[in-house]
Amino acid sequence: MTQIIAYIKRDMWSPYIAGILLGLVAILIAVTATAYRDSAMALGASGAFESIFGGLTQLVSPGWVAKNLYFRAVRLPGLTWEVVLLFGLFIGGALGAISSRTWKIRWMPDKQWAEAFGQSRVTRWVLVFFGAILLEYGAGMAGGCTSGLAIWGGLQLAPAAFVFMGGMFASGIPTALLVYRRRY
Amino acid sequence: MSVAQIIIALVLGTGFGFALQKAGLTQYHKIVNVFRFTDLAVLKFMLTALIVAMAGLFGLGVLGLVDLPVPPQTYIVGNLLGGLVFGVGMALVGI
Repeated sequence: MTQIIAYIKRDMWSPYIAGILLGLVAILIAVTATAYRDSAMALGASGAFESIFGGLTQLVSPGWVAKNLYFRAVRLPGLTWEVVLLFGLFIGGALGAISSRTWKIRWMPDKQWAEAFGQSRVTRWVLVFFGAILLEYGAGMAGGCTSGLAIWGGLQLAPAAFVFMGGMFASGIPTALLVYRRRY
Repeated sequence: MSVAQIIIALVLGTGFGFALQKAGLTQYHKIVNVFRFTDLAVLKFMLTALIVAMAGLFGLGVLGLVDLPVPPQTYIVGNLLGGLVFGVGMALVGI
């Protein structure tokens, strides 16, 4: 038992152990969706940002959101299952870091970022801003992100998940190649 | 959403975030290095989750305890183009 607690407190787990935990979470999500008869209860993260935006926009301009085809047919605005899951995600990440006593507020990511892009905070923030736009836009187009499409779809062997992952690596590898061209 | 549903979603989201944090996928280099083939933690993590969830869900499904979820829709052009755009962002900023 003390060994298990010591393992939980470790900074990094084996990715296989962490993967088992995520697999169990996915099973429990499906059990919950069965209990509530709601197929919108799924594993996902990226869609929550659209729902939050839709919910906030509703406060200012409810008519626009009501008429918008995306918020009517694709992604419901407001406090959806995925939005609450996303809040849990932040709590879980923080608890994970607190359990290993590595929680801290940082302005910059790890050493490897500085080796590739330098120490500038502005570079980091500008790149993250536009990179995140690409992530959300790509996820919106594909119908999900690495969680909602690749994992949640992949575990049902949905072709969409594997087409998406193929596309992700087909552009991710050349991008990493460009960033790290001399040090690949 | 009812209070019970919110609590369930918070707990399950916490488990999701805990797993991501412990696998190291909250760090820039873990995400980027999978595209450089120097650290395959992302793939090990994702595929283990897939196998565990597949085995569990289909087992529970056969026993009639769980309705299998609705799979995401396949529309090849959208899935592929979205994946291509997504991959650039992921490899660039590591999120």
